[in-house]
Order: sequence, then C-alpha cells, then structure tokens
Amino acid sequence: MGSVTKEDVESTLTAKLQPAHLTVVDTSGGCGASFDIEIASASFEGKRLLERHRLVNTALTEELKQIHALSISKALTPQQWQDQHPSTE
Amino acid sequence: MAGLVDSLAMPALSCRVPSSYVPSPSSSSSCLTLRQFPQFSGNVLKYRSGFSAIACSSSRIRFSLAGGKNPQTLVSRASSAFGPSHSSTGALTPEVKESLNKFLGEHKVVLFMKGNRMFPQCGFSNTVVQILNSMNVPYETVNILEDDGLRQGLKEYSNWPTFPQLYIDGEFFGGCDITLEAFQNGQLKEVLEKAMCS
Repeated sequence: MGSVTKEDVESTLTAKLQPAHLTVVDTSGGCGASFDIEIASASFEGKRLLERHRLVNTALTEELKQIHALSISKALTPQQWQDQHPSTE
Repeated sequence: MAGLVDSLAMPALSCRVPSSYVPSPSSSSSCLTLRQFPQFSGNVLKYRSGFSAIACSSSRIRFSLAGGKNPQTLVSRASSAFGPSHSSTGALTPEVKESLNKFLGEHKVVLFMKGNRMFPQCGFSNTVVQILNSMNVPYETVNILEDDGLRQGLKEYSNWPTFPQLYIDGEFFGGCDITLEAFQNGQLKEVLEKAMCS
C-alpha cells in the first residue's frame, strides 16, 4: 500500500496516452499525494478541454484512488505544444 | 489549480480549511486538521463578515449563517433538496440521481463544492466561487461535505473524480482547472450568457 509516486503517474500516462510531452510535478505538501500535470498527446486531437481532462482522469483511475489533488495545468495536442514552445523543438 | 480527490480521507482532512475568510488557492501547503485549528471545538466562531460558523463535534463540519436577515441560506435549501444523508457506499443511488436531475433542471448554474460561497473550505472551490462572483450570474452552491451519499454519487453522476464541480444549464462544465481556463479565454462568459438567455 505504498503511495503513488511521480514515476507511477508518469509511467501510467506514458503507457496510456503516448504523450509527446509530459511533465509531472509532485506538489503534495503534507496532505498526501498531489500532482501537477502538463501533457501533450495526439489523443487530444479534436477534443475539447473537458474531454481531454476526462482522458487523463480515466488513465489515472487507479492512481486517483490515492491521489489527493490532481491538477492538469496543460492538456495540449503535440502541435499546440510546439506552438507554445517553439525554441525547445 | 485542480479539484480535490476525496477518496479515503476524512472530510476534515481531505481539504484545506482556510485560515482566513478567503483562502488563497496558492497556499497549497496549508493542510490543517481539526486539531490544528483549535477554534473548532464546538464553539460559535465569529468572522469578519459578521456570520458565525458552528462546528459540530462529529467528523463532519456544518456551517450555518446566523444573525443575517435570511438565516435559511441557498446552501442549506439546496442541500435539503437531496434529503437525508445516505451511507457512504460510493454508488449513485436512484434517489440521488433523481434529486440531481431535478435540482439541475431547476437551477441554471450550480456549483458542487467544499463549504459554501461564504466560507469555502478548499482553495479550489474558492477559486470557482470567486470566478462566479465576478461573472454577476445567480448561482447555487451545494456543500458536498454535508452529504457523503451525494458526494460519492456525484463523482459517478458527473464521471469526474474531484470537487468542485460546476454545472451550467444541467450540463457538467468542468472542475477548477477547466473553469479557470474558460474564464480566462472568455468561453465561460459565452456559455453563461447563453444559459441565462435560454
């Protein structure tokens, strides 16, 4: 019954959503596991933000049983990610 | 910005109790338990705005407005619409589902949150309250901490694991992240205007 780690979240999202970009930050401050996620995935093409968040929530169903607070600060398509970060590609 | 998942923790532990009247969503490390908040000992607490909060000795905290012109708040009216508390089974019972259908059919903008608009008990819930206040639209809030059956049922009803949950025109709009983004890019205003005109 270990708690969810940043690596658990990363590997689950990588396996299920094949992200072009993924940043997971553990933001828990004593309340239990809490994460902030930035993700860019081709799975998000043609989907509204609500549907994108649902995809992430669904992918993390198991982890969410233990995660206290989940923040999805960015859920972009790979193209949107490149548009926002032109210098890094 | 996010919704809070409230899976196994006790209500009082699973949400930051704001240490001031309006908590800051950014103070993510301020996790207070009842014990760390010594004023919560069944006493009537006075707040800046003149209302008082009554903390029950049970694991649940109930807040009520007192001394105002209208002691029956929107919150308490909204909550009572769902009837007595159900046990914490995690299932969406037909009763809860029907109550939600009815309630959401009667109110255009509903925020299911931790605490109420006068005393949000969670930074994320507070963020959405502040956004809605700034939009100048009438809205109802329902304190999901007061009814665990509702709280568990709503996760299923909305297919959304966290709170707050915002409904506009009977439809699930989003949690804190989505509402904040829609507020910033103007979509929230559009959706609300459309809802108000319908």
